[in-house]
This record gives sequence, C-alpha cells and structure tokens, in this order.
Amino acid sequence: MTDQRFRIISVVVIAIMAVIWLMPVYTLFNTSFKTQAEVAEQSYISPPKRLQLANFIQAFKALKIGLRNSIIISSVATFLCIFLGSLAAYSLTKFNFRFAIPVFFSIVMVTFLPYQIILIPITHILMTLRLLNSYAGLILIYVILNSPMAALITATFFMKVPVDLEEAAALDGCPPFTFYLKILVPVSLPGVVAATILVFVQIYNEFLLGIVLTRGPDVKPVMPFLAELKGTEIAQWHIQMAGALITSLIPVAVFAFLGRYFISGLMAGYGKG
Amino acid sequence: MKKNKVQGFIFLIPMLVIVGTFYGMIIWNFIIAFTGWEVLLPTWKFVGLENFYRLFELRRFWINIKNNFLWLIFFIAPTSFVGFVLAYLFTNLRRGEHLLRQIFLFPMALSFVINGTLWAWMYDPSSGLINSILRRIGVNTLGLGWIALPNTAIYCMIFSAFWQYMGFALVIYLGAIRGLSSAMVEAAAMDGASKFTILFRIIFPNVGHATLICTTMLAITTMKVFDLVWIMTQGGPGVSTEVLPYLMYRLTFSSRDIGMGAATSIVILIFSAMIVIPYSLWALKKWVII
Repeated sequence: MTDQRFRIISVVVIAIMAVIWLMPVYTLFNTSFKTQAEVAEQSYISPPKRLQLANFIQAFKALKIGLRNSIIISSVATFLCIFLGSLAAYSLTKFNFRFAIPVFFSIVMVTFLPYQIILIPITHILMTLRLLNSYAGLILIYVILNSPMAALITATFFMKVPVDLEEAAALDGCPPFTFYLKILVPVSLPGVVAATILVFVQIYNEFLLGIVLTRGPDVKPVMPFLAELKGTEIAQWHIQMAGALITSLIPVAVFAFLGRYFISGLMAGYGKG
Repeated sequence: MKKNKVQGFIFLIPMLVIVGTFYGMIIWNFIIAFTGWEVLLPTWKFVGLENFYRLFELRRFWINIKNNFLWLIFFIAPTSFVGFVLAYLFTNLRRGEHLLRQIFLFPMALSFVINGTLWAWMYDPSSGLINSILRRIGVNTLGLGWIALPNTAIYCMIFSAFWQYMGFALVIYLGAIRGLSSAMVEAAAMDGASKFTILFRIIFPNVGHATLICTTMLAITTMKVFDLVWIMTQGGPGVSTEVLPYLMYRLTFSSRDIGMGAATSIVILIFSAMIVIPYSLWALKKWVII
C-alpha cells in the first residue's frame, strides 16, 4: 500500500467513525427541540419543524434547584481540593522530605481506589457529625475524595519547576507560602488549571453520593435530579433529552474552552508526566 | 532553611489528615464487615466471616462477579484496541487533528448519568433511535430488545461506555505513538514492512506503557459503573446487568443489610487493589524519575 492510499483510507475511516460518534449527540440535540408528536413519528434524523423551547423550560424547572446546588457544591469543593492538594504537592516536591515517596504512594492509591469501598463509613461519619443532607457534608466528602487527585496532578507539574527558581527566591528571603502563591502557582498555571477542570467535572458529574447523602431536594446535586426526571417523564424523550442537554452544558463548555488542559491533566494524572 | 522545612510540613498536614481519613474508613469498613448489625446500629459483636458466607450463598452475588468479568473483557479490550488503531490512523492526518480528537474525547466529559439517559433512549425497543433506523431500512426489529433483554442488556451497556471512553484510549496511544522515534518506523518501511506489520510488530511492542495506563484506567472504570447501571436498567432485567458496586448499594441502602454490604465493599476493595497497587508502584517510579 502506498503512503498516499494509506493516508486516504485513514481519513475516510476517521471521518466515518467521527460521524458515528456524533450521531448520539446530534439526535440528542434534535430530539430536545421537537414536540412529542414529532418524536412519535420516529424520524430522528430530520430536523424539528419548529424549535420547541418549551421543552427546555419544563426540563429546567425540574432541574434548577439541582443545578444551583451542584454549582455551589462543586465550586466550593473544587477550590478547597485545589488549595489543599497543591499545598501538599508543593510540600512533597520541594522540601526533600524523606517520607515524601511513601506519602505520595498513598495519595496515588487513594486517587485510584473506587470510593464505593468506603461508602458505608462515609454515611456514618456524616450521620455522626449531623451533616447528612447539608452542603457542608457533601463538600467535606468531595474534598476528602478528590483532593488527592488534585495533589497528584499539581505535583507532576511542580516537579518540572526548576530548582534555581526556588533558590533565587529563598536568597531574596521569600517565605515558602509567598513562593507558593506568587511564583509556584503562576509558573505552573497550566497544571493548576488542568487539576481544577478535572476535579470540578468529576464532582459535578458525581451521582452515587448525591443520592446516598441527601434527603429531599434541598441540597441534592443535579445528577440525581436528572435521574429522577428520567423516572418521572417516562417515554417523554424530548423532555429527557432537553434535561440531559441542560445538565451537560457546564462540562461540555469546560471541555470546549479548556480541552487542552483537560488532556494534559489526564496525562499527568495517569502517570505520563 | 530549618524553619522553612517546618512550614513545608505544615502544608502537608491537611492532606495527611485527608488520606489518613480515607484509610481509616477502609479499616472501619473491615470492622463493619466482621461484626453484627441490627437495623442501622452496630452490635460490635465479632461474627467472623458470617457476613461473607451469607454473601457467597447468594446466587445474585456470583452473577455480579460474572458481570464484572464481562465488563473487564468486553470493555477494556475493544476500547484499547480501537483507540490504538485509530491513534495510528490519526498520525496520517495533515490537518483537523485537534477538532477530530475533541469529537472522540468529549463524551468523557459527560457523566454516566447523561450518557445513560441518552443511550437508554437510543436502545429503547419500541421508540428508540436504533430500532427506528433499522425498521426504516427494512429490518424486522421484533426480537431486538437491546437493554430490555437479559442476554443482550449488559453488552449494550458496555457499548455505551465504549462510546464514552474510546477517545481516552485514543489520546493516550496518540501521545505514545508520537513519542516513538520516527527512524524506527521508517527503517521498517524501508525494509518493505506492511502498514499492518508496522502497527502490530513495531509500534505496539513499543507503546507498552500506554497499554498499561489504558487498560488499568479502564479496569478501574469498570468498578465505578454504578451510575450507568442505575440509569439504564436498575440492574435488570432481573439482576442480569448488576455489577458489584450496584449490589453493594442495594444490600446496604435497600435491604439495610449493612454487614453484607460492607462484605461486598471488601470484595470490591480486593479486586481494585489487585489492579491499583501494582499500577501505583509502576507509576510512582515514572513520577519520581521526572
């Protein structure tokens, strides 16, 4: 096979796969703008006759409390995860502690173990602290579960910061916390952004803790709301799809604008430096 | 310098507390699994392996184990393989790589709940997208129940996860293939090796680290598919699509059998640890070298 032919075949295969990959998303969009009568015709490829914004209003009404809760919980928890995680990463990468490697190893383990293994203790802790069904409780648990990942990702970026920079700062009498805030974080900003995105999306997308640790709608995150919408609007595909679309706006927007960091964060988090 | 070291240690304390809490909760979970429970209160009476015996007597538990293995086999291998081949094809692109890569990767930013909502509709036997298209091109869809039938449901679910994670494999392999020296591939091409030979005999053996990352991460993902099961089938039809995390949730929060739920958690822990510990040791070496 000549290179030229191989290139053409590659392009064709990739194009076909891309169309297959976009198909579910196209129909998601398409269906969410249709009336129920149009959906019943089952011609999913043809576009809607008129854009039904009412679907979105109905879905949004069902999801808005969840969206509010999720935005509050995810933002606060992400901030705390990144702050505590990057401080720990600074400590582990820049002070030559002898115990740095075992601590780092235990952080890696916690990052990758599924949290289902401690679901029962989590519930008990929140019950004992009387934090079930509260923002504080959910935020506390999300910080425990996600700050190790933040430490892991930021640490891989901090390692690349040259030692000279530190020495120069130390000579100027720059105290550690000032160095962290004014030099280390700005210099490794791509890493901090990558960690922020990954942690935020992970918390926003979380479902199981949202159903286990809340009672009633007051503090419940959005994913359980979407699951409920699916239960209450059985066979109302247009409403379900509008709900799914609304819910996915935040992660998709993050991905569209900051996708580059998303990838670099993934790479760092999974040990490719 | 000494004062700085003290400060540096203070920065680490919150993380030590967090990680310590995590491990503490694992130990706590062991205690729960080996003691008796009444309703929601611990009796603190040591019952040995009783919770495990009761768990192993459930036929449902073994169906769950089988399903977890189905996930391991039919999710990891196809996702990694397609990602790998596609990554190789990607190296031939002259333009548009960034956009195309985004198309395959963005499903990963969606949650399992969104994915499950979308695919539950695609698979719906009467009004779903797949059967509608099949009917349009003249296929009799009467027997095609997809997620409504016990013997196909789990594979449909695995396919939707494949759709979501293939881009991850693609990106990991693309990075690894780009990192290879082009001289090696060119030399093989000079010797008249076919594209197929180059891909599987030359590139594949040299991107072992990517294969390790990819398969490990996908294996860990299979331990987290609770959400997808919940949304698409609630474990059904029957218990045909249940996986261990789902069983754990049901035993704990629906049957209120805390002891057995904790025992299931430990089974999950053992499986996960077999994947995570070797991987973490390997990854640690790479991180420390940097």
